[in-house]
Amino acid sequence: MWQAIKNFYHRMGTPREFYRIAGYWIPIFGVCFAVLFIVGAYLGLVVAPADYQQGDSFRIIYVHVPAAWMSLFVYVVMAFAGAIGLIWRMKMAFIVMITSASIGATFTFIALATGSLWGKPTWGTWWQWEARLTSELVLLFLYIGIMVLYSAFTERKTAEKAAAILCIVGVINIPIIHYSVEWWNSLHQGSTVIREGGPAMPASMLTPLLLMALSFQFFYGWLLFIKARTQALTQEQGSSWVKQIIESKQVK
Amino acid sequence: MSVKNHLSLESIRCVRGDNTLFSELSIDAENGDLLRIRGENGSGKTSLLRIIAGIALADAGKVLWNKKTIQESDSFATDIAYLAHRDGIKSELTAIENLKFYQQLYNQNDTEKLMNVLDALDISHIYPLPARQLSFGQRRRLGFARLLLSSTKLWLLDEPFTGIDVSGRELLEQHCVDFLNQGGMIVMTHHAELEHSELIQREQSVDLTSLNIGRFQSEMETI
Amino acid sequence: MTAKQSTSHFSSFTLFLRRECFLLWNNQENVIQPLFFFLITISLFPFSLGSDPELLKIIMPSIAWVAIVLAIMMSLNSLFRDDFEDGSLEQWLIGNRSLALIALAKIMVYWLFNGVFLAILACIVCLSTNISFEQIKVLFASLLLGTISLQLIGGIGAALTVTIQRSGLLIAIIVMPLFIPILIFGAGAVTRSIAGESVAGALYTLATLAVLSITFAPFGISFALRNTIE
Repeated sequence: MWQAIKNFYHRMGTPREFYRIAGYWIPIFGVCFAVLFIVGAYLGLVVAPADYQQGDSFRIIYVHVPAAWMSLFVYVVMAFAGAIGLIWRMKMAFIVMITSASIGATFTFIALATGSLWGKPTWGTWWQWEARLTSELVLLFLYIGIMVLYSAFTERKTAEKAAAILCIVGVINIPIIHYSVEWWNSLHQGSTVIREGGPAMPASMLTPLLLMALSFQFFYGWLLFIKARTQALTQEQGSSWVKQIIESKQVK
Repeated sequence: MSVKNHLSLESIRCVRGDNTLFSELSIDAENGDLLRIRGENGSGKTSLLRIIAGIALADAGKVLWNKKTIQESDSFATDIAYLAHRDGIKSELTAIENLKFYQQLYNQNDTEKLMNVLDALDISHIYPLPARQLSFGQRRRLGFARLLLSSTKLWLLDEPFTGIDVSGRELLEQHCVDFLNQGGMIVMTHHAELEHSELIQREQSVDLTSLNIGRFQSEMETI
Repeated sequence: MTAKQSTSHFSSFTLFLRRECFLLWNNQENVIQPLFFFLITISLFPFSLGSDPELLKIIMPSIAWVAIVLAIMMSLNSLFRDDFEDGSLEQWLIGNRSLALIALAKIMVYWLFNGVFLAILACIVCLSTNISFEQIKVLFASLLLGTISLQLIGGIGAALTVTIQRSGLLIAIIVMPLFIPILIFGAGAVTRSIAGESVAGALYTLATLAVLSITFAPFGISFALRNTIE
């Protein structure tokens, strides 16, 4: 059993096998994402009742909260991938890490943008230095740092390793950043806490949120597989298996 | 130096960008060997030296020093001296301050030896000068002084004679011969021919250009 | 680790401490420039905020913290730059020498001559705005503890970018998010002290972060140098 997992793991680590296996998963992830997203969006935007305080504007949480969760999730995935790449020198791990960076940054941006859209009717301003939004902003800076560092190197191998190290340093810092921002926020202002979930939320509101969160997961997997596959092809363009793929496509 | 030392490269591969510079490179060297790395510009000569020094990591294969990989070997850091394009000399310090530091790094503290080395390299007059005032050739000799000071067993020399005049070159080649005769080991890159007859006699070549397995046909899927 | 090895590690640590002090003595601009940068930056704020003494008295410590974060960030570029360009770093990388100890020695010296001097200067500047001695003490303590972490964490950024030619802005972009918690607790300690609240929590947190940085950052720096220089 353990051996089988190990074998699978090593096979996924090579761009060639990754390309093949990811090819099967892409449609599955795509369909799962589409179904969950449609059901979740329907339940969230149409079926769920309006909030008695915020009216319909609360419905933005169905994008905001999953995006915020994903922004953190993707960063942790990147740090794990980076560590795997550094320890076992696995090419695919670095590819996963670096293609995740732009996806994660986009999730972070979506979370910030929707948070600010929600803030306008609720707080009356587009931006409030509120703990969770601020942490999200710092997370965006971390993502930007990794992407900028990666693109600053001319040698890809060095760029991958440097970005991976920064990613790991960042992931150690995330809890510290979170804690510090909470602490800082408790000084500057009282209680404008976003009421987002918790047990207080009725099932008719919570179910669509969870469905949307799950659909975002599949969306990430789907995007990641597509992008990582492309990246694998680009990086390995000199090798024979890529040439075979290109030839087989041309015949069709 | 009666102890036998042994340097061994096992199936080294070096990839830069999308090009495999060389692969399956295996070399063995022992006391008294002079190994000369040849190859065109960009064939990976400097990369190979850096891999042997443990500064860069090989993309595959191992470097062994006395049967241990250089990362595990306790003595490697003090057994080896590397003279690179960047000579590791601080411009703001004087010649003697620079050398003193390296001497201490090699766990020695012998001022007399230091002056002897400067004498041997014909640069004893420059010792109180800040390194930034030295000419390129003098600086190069200062770098060489670092090698002579260390009681290392392996010298890695990257184009050591560049920018040095004829008399200086004879001197340095003579020092290389002496080092080899005392049981040292040298791995060097050098674009021109060596001149000292004994060096030529001991020289063994590795040509990286012939090891280059083709820049467009890298076999990366085997990892 | 054998006893012999640990003594040799210790002696190379002290050797590098002495060397870095000596080098800084020869490159005094590395000590003086951050101080000037700090002074100039801090004097920009009254120009932009107005000269109301009551306002400045409240915000001066926070401004001092921002200016110090910036000054340290600007100085990071030169941390490993010279050693890389003249080939010294390559010499430390040979074999399995303990690069982490070398990095720690280097940063301790830089902390002593940048961090501590900046902290003293910041306190002198803030004294001029008439804030109480009690608050100056808090400011000094928070700066001493905070600059340790700033320089060690910044060292990782400097190590990651040492092979990149124009890395000044790049370092700023990658280390700024990592500096935010330290800035928050550092400036927060002083703000709380002005508000009459307890500062122990913030100072303890800063001390914890400093200890964590001393423990882990040298390995991060060593790992970063080994992986980016090749």
